[in-house]
Amino acid sequence: MKARMGNSTFLKQEFLKKWIKSLHIYSNFKKDMSILERKKVIKLSADVAIASTRNASTRWSRTVMANISKNETNRNKILAEQVFSDSGLIKRKASNGLMACSNRIKSKKILRRSHITQIRARKMGPHAFKASSIAKKLVKNRTQVLKSLVPGGENMDEISLIKETLDYIVSLRVQVDVMRRLASAAEHSTKSL
Amino acid sequence: MDMAGEDATVQLEKRNEEPLNYRDGNMSLQWKLNGNNLTNTSMVINPTSNSMIESLACSSDSMADSFAPSIWNQPIIGQSLGYCDLNVKNNASTSNTLGNGTGSFGPVRPNAMLKGSTFLPDFPVMLPPSLPHFPADSGFIERAARFSCFGGGNFVDMMSPFRISESLNPYTGDSLEVFMGNGSKSLPVMQSQRHEINAIECSKEVSLPVELGTESSPIKNDKMIENFPSSHDEAKYGIGVLAHESDEAEFSGSGFQEELEDAAGESSAKGLGSKKRKRTRQGTQLNVNNGGRQQATETAKDRAEIQQQGDQNQASSKPGGKHDKSGSQGSDLPKEEYIHVRARRGQATNSHSLAERVRREKISERMKFLQDLVPGCSKVTGKAVMLDEIINYVQSLQQQVEFLSMKLATVNPLLDFNIEGLLAKDPQAGPPSSLAFSSYMTTPYPPLQQLQTGTIQAVLPGLGCSSGPPQGLVKPQFSTVGGRLRESTSHVHCAWEDELHNIIRMGFNSNDPLNSQNLSSPLSSHMKTEH
Repeated sequence: MKARMGNSTFLKQEFLKKWIKSLHIYSNFKKDMSILERKKVIKLSADVAIASTRNASTRWSRTVMANISKNETNRNKILAEQVFSDSGLIKRKASNGLMACSNRIKSKKILRRSHITQIRARKMGPHAFKASSIAKKLVKNRTQVLKSLVPGGENMDEISLIKETLDYIVSLRVQVDVMRRLASAAEHSTKSL
Repeated sequence: MDMAGEDATVQLEKRNEEPLNYRDGNMSLQWKLNGNNLTNTSMVINPTSNSMIESLACSSDSMADSFAPSIWNQPIIGQSLGYCDLNVKNNASTSNTLGNGTGSFGPVRPNAMLKGSTFLPDFPVMLPPSLPHFPADSGFIERAARFSCFGGGNFVDMMSPFRISESLNPYTGDSLEVFMGNGSKSLPVMQSQRHEINAIECSKEVSLPVELGTESSPIKNDKMIENFPSSHDEAKYGIGVLAHESDEAEFSGSGFQEELEDAAGESSAKGLGSKKRKRTRQGTQLNVNNGGRQQATETAKDRAEIQQQGDQNQASSKPGGKHDKSGSQGSDLPKEEYIHVRARRGQATNSHSLAERVRREKISERMKFLQDLVPGCSKVTGKAVMLDEIINYVQSLQQQVEFLSMKLATVNPLLDFNIEGLLAKDPQAGPPSSLAFSSYMTTPYPPLQQLQTGTIQAVLPGLGCSSGPPQGLVKPQFSTVGGRLRESTSHVHCAWEDELHNIIRMGFNSNDPLNSQNLSSPLSSHMKTEH
């Protein structure tokens, strides 16, 4: 974890490189975009760039790339492929559609969980059991929300979800940091004109 | 048995489209040969294994289009072939526990079970080799297990220790090369596949004590799979725990070292219980134990020999042997790489509950890291509140991205974010304007640095006047800006108030613990040390 933090600068550089590159591709591709289009392009390029820094090693990065390749127009696909053709990320989109667990395993999980719940209900006092079940419900709800936030988190189990969240948070931070700096640099440069 | 093997081999060869080094055919053949050399075969296991293999082959076939997982399926199939041929003593206990193992494999199964590979989770558990008789193959299997149980780490790093082990073990032959080939190819492959491999391969090693010393560093001091429990319960844990990672670089690193040193005298009986060590987050601690790794390899091998013999003596080690924790765990625990889970005193020793406990501990482990990462979470305990904070933080970060992209869109009429242009406009960009750079790839760094120095100077007066920043750190540090600009902890300008003050503060004071994770060293610092 601490070593990972040392890599953040490297991450920032990678991200910035790729981001600028993709922005250039876009600006060459189409001039005179509206402000909303520009914003979309900027965000898109940033997402693609930050996802590619992971080199498809994390689920969220794969999901991001898959979503970009799948939903967007051909232009974005071209962009993605141009920028990241070497990493082969585009091909990986097939991975995200499939469920991680088989039905058999899921049903076994459910059975086991209900069994454990029964045991626990009997073991603890009724009040304690209720409290813990409420707590569990809370956790479950929030886990669901988190799953919806983290791209590609829908099908993951809790442990991997937390891992992905960690990675995603780090990448988001890198993204925000670089964007902020660039924004303020650009703003300052225009101000000083 | 051979039929299944041949079919799988054919399928392997058909699917070998990736430029992998290893030879599928050879590998499977090798496995078969290895299997034949061994002693008795268990008929109970083999048919099921065969069916599993065939189904596995079929499922992997269906996944042929999905790139990488198929790669992993191939070696897995080959290895599974080997195991099918293996002369596994079929214990009644193992066969009984197969069902349990499959069931409880679910919760601890790695998330990495990719699409279509639904058989994979079942598959390894079905091969519970409680192999007391693996004498000739022990060294090889160890290394194979060591290799296989890696997964999370840097395969390149992993290669070198295996070179050493390979040279020492005459048995390895092609199979180890295959494994190593897999490893090298796995590096560009997704992490999830590594997990798969780990899970599957580790299951093979169930009965073998394996020195995973070499794997420690690649796995980044992850949980190491130690003496293979002769019961599949422990194999289960091995599989599950291997598959997941958590960040514990320092702890696991030191723990690993200790464990290696102590390993020498331990019998495999003790091997059944040991402390659990967690795998560190993959990708982060690549270099943590490089030094220790080599050492570890040697000691690990020695230990492996000892353990191997011990293990053979202990063919009837109890399944799911969880011992109660005692106070002096540290000295008793065999320092091997192996995920042992001990039932605490007074707790149920049910395999399910132990798996549950493993899972819970993993989750809490990771939540701790999240606590470090998410600001303001250090005082919070409890999953629900932590999750709430995490959700808020992620949402806020995403909103910031949106906002910043909108801001950038407004600032720039063109999407040309010309770094050179940004610098050129800066009146105080003292450094020479040899800012022309050929491509944005390499040149952003020096210009950005100049940008930062220039803008910092420009910004300083503004900042000096504008604020009484709550922390008095900002102003005194500004005085050092001039001297430290060259040191390039300088940060980009910041016209923004609070956050930017923080940024500057971070940049100048790299010891700041508050957001040091985020802003420990700005871009410019790396510009000097260009990659």
